[in-house]
Amino acid sequence: MKHLGTIIGTAIAGMFVMSVWGAFAGAYGIAGGWFAGLIIIGTMWFMNHYIGLVHNKGAFIDMALGIGVAGTMRDVFNNGIQAGVESLPTLITVIVGGIIGGYMAAKLEKYLAEKANN
Amino acid sequence: MTIQNIIGTLAGAFIFPFIIRLAWGKMVGCWGSIGGWMAAGFIVGTCWTLNHGVGFIFQTGGAWIDMAWAAGFGLFTASLVSGDKLGEGPTTAVMAILGGTLGGFILSCVI
Repeated sequence: MKHLGTIIGTAIAGMFVMSVWGAFAGAYGIAGGWFAGLIIIGTMWFMNHYIGLVHNKGAFIDMALGIGVAGTMRDVFNNGIQAGVESLPTLITVIVGGIIGGYMAAKLEKYLAEKANN
Repeated sequence: MTIQNIIGTLAGAFIFPFIIRLAWGKMVGCWGSIGGWMAAGFIVGTCWTLNHGVGFIFQTGGAWIDMAWAAGFGLFTASLVSGDKLGEGPTTAVMAILGGTLGGFILSCVI
């Protein structure tokens, strides 16, 4: 059941983000995109992480992983493998940037906690 | 992909999980579950404006690379750096990838 919850939770989040978000941005521009973040991520976070539909025991898996995969795979299913191959430079750069950002945040978080305790 | 594109993409991808890791939990701590909605708007909505609205993340191909990729990998890394054990993380990651692929397939049937 824990795996079923993760699969269903990430699939639903991925579908909302990769269709409804663009519809809001298309209709209302930047304001629509910002608002889409509020309603889609707010609701999906509540279901997947606050209630805990996405199983998390150990290193943290965010629903964002499923959302990222959904957006890329949507276009691979639609436009073929070649579209995915052409997107690899962006994918690799984004993953590297994300890893550095997460690493720095965890280090600074630790520093801030130590500073607060002294 | 020019060096300028790479710098912009790296910076945008850095910023998103960085802010989530530092601020999301604190917002929930301060305001309860409403803090999660605050974070969704003010962190995700605002970072979306930077990365996809303005376009920090440069797309080289026809398959959309969302800033969510940065959050998935960045938050996993942050969890490990802060001392969490791998545990069932890798298994859950596979399930999340399966779920995302399922969602992507269903979307490809609709749009």
